[in-house]
Amino acid sequence: MTNNLLNISNLKVNIEGKEILRGVDLQVAKGEIHVIMGPNGGGKSTLGYTLMGHPQYEIIDGNIEFDGEIINDLKVDKRAKKGIFLSFQYPEEIPGVTVEEFLRTAKTSVSGEIQKIIPFKKLLKEKMNQLEMKEEYASRYLNLGFSGGEKKKNEILQMSILEPKLAILDETDSGLDVDAIRIVAEGVKKLQDREKSIIVITHYNKLLEYLQPDFVHILLDGKIVKSGGLELAQEIDKKGYENIRNEFSNK
Amino acid sequence: MLWKRINLENFDFPNVVSYNKEYIDINNISDKIQLTNNPRNINLDIDMNDVKGLGDRFISFSKDCYNSSIDLSLPRNVKIQEPIIIKFNMDMDNPMVIDKNIIVAESGSEATIIFDYSSIKEVKAFHNGLTMVYAKENTKINIIKIQRMNDISLNFDSNFAFVEGQGNVNWISVELGSSISGTNYSTFLEGEASESNLSSIYLGDKERKMDLGYSMIHKGPRSLSSIETKGVLKDKSKKVFRGNLDFKRGARHSKGVEEEYVILLDPTVKSDSIPALLCEEDDVEGEHAASAGQIDENRLFYLMSRGLNEREAKKMIIESSFRPIINKIPFEDFRLIINKEIEGRLMDE
Repeated sequence: MTNNLLNISNLKVNIEGKEILRGVDLQVAKGEIHVIMGPNGGGKSTLGYTLMGHPQYEIIDGNIEFDGEIINDLKVDKRAKKGIFLSFQYPEEIPGVTVEEFLRTAKTSVSGEIQKIIPFKKLLKEKMNQLEMKEEYASRYLNLGFSGGEKKKNEILQMSILEPKLAILDETDSGLDVDAIRIVAEGVKKLQDREKSIIVITHYNKLLEYLQPDFVHILLDGKIVKSGGLELAQEIDKKGYENIRNEFSNK
Repeated sequence: MLWKRINLENFDFPNVVSYNKEYIDINNISDKIQLTNNPRNINLDIDMNDVKGLGDRFISFSKDCYNSSIDLSLPRNVKIQEPIIIKFNMDMDNPMVIDKNIIVAESGSEATIIFDYSSIKEVKAFHNGLTMVYAKENTKINIIKIQRMNDISLNFDSNFAFVEGQGNVNWISVELGSSISGTNYSTFLEGEASESNLSSIYLGDKERKMDLGYSMIHKGPRSLSSIETKGVLKDKSKKVFRGNLDFKRGARHSKGVEEEYVILLDPTVKSDSIPALLCEEDDVEGEHAASAGQIDENRLFYLMSRGLNEREAKKMIIESSFRPIINKIPFEDFRLIINKEIEGRLMDE
């Protein structure tokens, strides 16, 4: 047992019989921000989906321990109730269900407490203001006809309403302009405090400038090959992944 | 074809008994219209080859043996905002509705008529209906039919509309009940730029058998039609959907689209979709699409990742499919009734 919120050890994951994660180790303590970087196909999104519990991602070895419990076999909704949140790279569109209705249902499920209409409306309005979202979004159908950026903001809105212990942001910054990245980063920072942890999966550095991560990890060919601080992200930004790839393929 | 499997071609019609309850909601009837329960004589002169679904025996039964009826006349340019509500609730003393309804909308008139067919739990109810709509120039007539009879009842319903120039007939059909249900909506787009839209939802549960036959028969030039159907099948339910876009000679520059989407919740259901496009004219546009599938796994994952359990998430996906059509019903009481009925049937496992 450790004091870590999340403890991933030797995690190996198959998708349709193909091994994508090949022994990932990662420890995230309460209040920390971790960044996962890496080239496409390295397993970044797979890690996010696996932590959330997508049924097509099969754990063949290793463990995911969250908040003192091995959650390898826990269903996705149970993980959400335990406090894991995934901000999707491509959120699903749900016509016929409004943002407000959906979030009230989700908040009721996650918190186990019925959300009364008026106080919930107030909470939603406050969070939307923080993210500089127009109020009309509350009554629009979930993600339907939203632009890429609007969908991402909506994911952060969901995160701030559901208040997870661990938020995994999968490419939340892609498709956002500079202003939107700043707003999203501020929204994320408001969530983060001593108790709450964040894993940021990203290609870029823009979001990191605002977020000041504690650790940066490079995920390459299904393994975390290098960890460091913000300077690692800056190095990648300058030199790309080739150096690291060469370094580790020689080993 | 479904009818052959369940042998409705030799269907024995029951002896007609009377329906003695009030069915016209008189509270909100405008004095500008004429509404009686005494139908005028009308010759239904149509080529049955143009009509899919129920055959003429079912039509004749209502025409000749009806036990209830409305006859509605909308005078010229009279526009009625409040919906006209016709409600049948079959019970032990009134187990049968054989209705014959005639709606004549003079030019420029507008109205919405809601028909609601329900039954108490215990009765083996029987409904056979015939509704005819005559929409003259520049009319806008909305007909909403809700069928939520119990699982041991039988439902048959034939609907016809004849639409003149720039007239508009919108059908909404909500099919939620009965053990066997056959419905048929045929719209004859007679005039230039006449238009008809049919939106329907259906829910098959337990051992329900459904036959849905929708035809848009384009005769006038620049006529427009659309059919949008959303369904859900569970348990051992069966469904045949037949959607016809039929462009007759003279229907130049006309356009019709039809789309059916059904979610199959159990491997034990049976779903047949037979969309057809018939053209006697070259210069027309017809599109059809039909798809059937299970609940999308990624969608389910997304909703469950927000804490909804599998059942809640599935229910939300189904509601999401139905809602845009239910929301077209301009009367909250009925939207609530429909949502409650759907919820009850989905949760009943």
